Amino acid sequence: MSLLTALRETVAGFKSLLTGMRITAREAAKPSITVQYPHDTLKMADRFRGHVKLVLDPVTGKSRCTSCNLCVRACPSDCLTVEGIKREGEKKKSVSEYTLDFTTCSLCGSCVEACPSDAIEYSKDYNVVSLDRAEFARMDLLKKLEAEAKVWAEKNPELAAAAAAAAAAQAAAATAKAPAAATTASAPGAGAAPVATTPAPTPAVAPVPAAGVTETRTT
Amino acid sequence: MNFLQTEPIRILLYLVGICAFVGANAAYLVLAERKGAGRIQRRPGPNEAGFGGLLQPLADGIKLLAKQVMVPPGTDALLFRAAPLLVMAPPLMCLAMIPFSDSITARSLNVGLLFVFSFGSINVMALMLGGWASRNKFAIISSARVVSQNVAYEIPMLLVVITLLMVTGTMDLNEIIQQQGGGFWKWNLFKVWVNPLMPVTFVIFFICMLAETNRAPFDMAEAESELVAGAFTEYGGMGFGVFFMAEYANIVVGCSLATVLFLGGWQSPIGVLSGGLWGAGWFLLKLYALIFTVIWIRWTFPRTQFYSLLNLSWKILIPISLFTLLLTGAMMKLPVVYNHFF
Amino acid sequence: MSTFPFQDAILVAIFALVVGVTIGGALIAALSTRIIRGVSGLMLCCMGLGGLYYFLNSPFLALMEILIYVGAVCVTIVFGVMLSEPDEPAHEESRRHAVLWGGAALLVSLVILGGVAHLGLRGPWQEPAARVSDGSVQAIGLALLTTYSLPFELISIVLLVAILGALVIARSGRTKE
Repeated sequence: MSLLTALRETVAGFKSLLTGMRITAREAAKPSITVQYPHDTLKMADRFRGHVKLVLDPVTGKSRCTSCNLCVRACPSDCLTVEGIKREGEKKKSVSEYTLDFTTCSLCGSCVEACPSDAIEYSKDYNVVSLDRAEFARMDLLKKLEAEAKVWAEKNPELAAAAAAAAAAQAAAATAKAPAAATTASAPGAGAAPVATTPAPTPAVAPVPAAGVTETRTT
Repeated sequence: MNFLQTEPIRILLYLVGICAFVGANAAYLVLAERKGAGRIQRRPGPNEAGFGGLLQPLADGIKLLAKQVMVPPGTDALLFRAAPLLVMAPPLMCLAMIPFSDSITARSLNVGLLFVFSFGSINVMALMLGGWASRNKFAIISSARVVSQNVAYEIPMLLVVITLLMVTGTMDLNEIIQQQGGGFWKWNLFKVWVNPLMPVTFVIFFICMLAETNRAPFDMAEAESELVAGAFTEYGGMGFGVFFMAEYANIVVGCSLATVLFLGGWQSPIGVLSGGLWGAGWFLLKLYALIFTVIWIRWTFPRTQFYSLLNLSWKILIPISLFTLLLTGAMMKLPVVYNHFF
Repeated sequence: MSTFPFQDAILVAIFALVVGVTIGGALIAALSTRIIRGVSGLMLCCMGLGGLYYFLNSPFLALMEILIYVGAVCVTIVFGVMLSEPDEPAHEESRRHAVLWGGAALLVSLVILGGVAHLGLRGPWQEPAARVSDGSVQAIGLALLTTYSLPFELISIVLLVAILGALVIARSGRTKE
């Protein structure tokens, strides 16, 4: 009866082949699941750890960084450089330069952990390509943030307008103050500072050329 | 019109037509294969060149043409160059015999079937010479595989064909098709009153055809995961391209032979709309359905082991085909014997 | 066929080509030092022979020649060669042996040539114009199993010898190591 078993095995084997073909036919009928990479890209998961980037505050459209330098100290491979300035009319310092040396960064995330004001996070960008090494050795994160802010402003025009108005008011307050300080006429609240934000308690350290921009470098 | 019907012009037209048919098929079957593989693996396949990837064969062709044809030192240069020619010639010759429709045949011989098989057998020799002349160990292993595989599968294939010949009684391909006219139940595939195992013979023929054309799951000749590219390892540029095209040309020949022998060639499956251009349409429809199945099989099954490949032939296909041969003979002659004695 | 221009010239040219291929293939097969080229020559020679059969109005025999001799015998020989010998020129035999074997081969071939020539020159020739059978399966089967049953059986002996030869070559290749 070994002939019979051989025949049965042959038939069973042939049937299994047909099953396989039915499976591939069924798969072929389903839509394709690949992403056409250069044309479409995948949205990365929240847990994806790209390079560090500055967070855009969704209300003000600016960075939350106060250039406290804690991230610089936390970095084990010394790849962050932060410069901050003191803006007239603001309580805290704000960032003016934030560069990452991506050639030495090991994506450990210590900087993100250390940040007290949640100003940096992992970027979801994985298309970091350049023909120039300097693009990686001195990755200007602030510039990226500004590009992001532009997109943000287009998307949220009313928020952007409000933020711009706030900034303008601040600048106006500062300029109103500056000539007052220069003439030493101590008229407290001469302009009556229409917007109630930040009365800028500290006096200007140095007289500023009348350019409307009242910035002083601190570090 | 009169001028077109003169013999030299007819021959020239068919020559050009067959070359164009083979070329277009070889080019676009590669694309169909890649598209089919993509579908089965749930991706779109090549879709960048041209609309939906339709210009991909052109791009591939230009790339292959632009490459230098290298003859590596240490090879048998003469045989190395001759092998691609030898591998391309047999399918072209065989297609001359295939009737595309009742009136569209390049050359009708009363031994057409034998013609296809005799020239088909040269193919092995060509692959083997190419592999041997390369003087490359992978190529030589591949050559040995090609030869033993083709010898092993030629036997069940010829046995099946002999079974069929006993049914048809002729080797003229056009006559074989004419016998199958009048609806799909008259195709040789479904002639179960002649031999209840007729569908099985078709399956055996199809399996042997896959093995003879070195197609997956029997592509031991160019098992790229073990043998680089098998017999074509040392070939580059259009030398490789010709081998590649010949593979598809052989598939076309094999599938059209299966269509002619088992699926009624240019006969309509419903009995009407037969002959002329309709016939060519039916023929091409059946042909491409079979070719599609070949592609489908390739992307479904993994490559067999070499021993199981030979076991399949010697232990399963040959006994079954011998049995069908005997059964057909018995079923044909029993009524005669019966009438003789009773 | 009748409307073909230069019909005769083309026929003569094809005949010359076929004869040339046959003789050339035979010369390559006999004179080549590389065994693989010898087999290729044999293949060419058989193709040419097939063409000659076709000229003798026997397409069946022509195709059988190709199917069996090119597709089976040559492949079997090559398979045997492949299992045994490296693709290098044969090593030199001693001169005296070479002369001895060469002389014997010459003698045998002269005898065969004489016999064939005698038959060809003296034998009654039939006109090949009329086809003996119509080439149908039935006619061929009848011819093979009645009139020509002895040559038919002899052909199978040729195949047997080819297989045995391949085996012998393969075995000697194995025992050498």
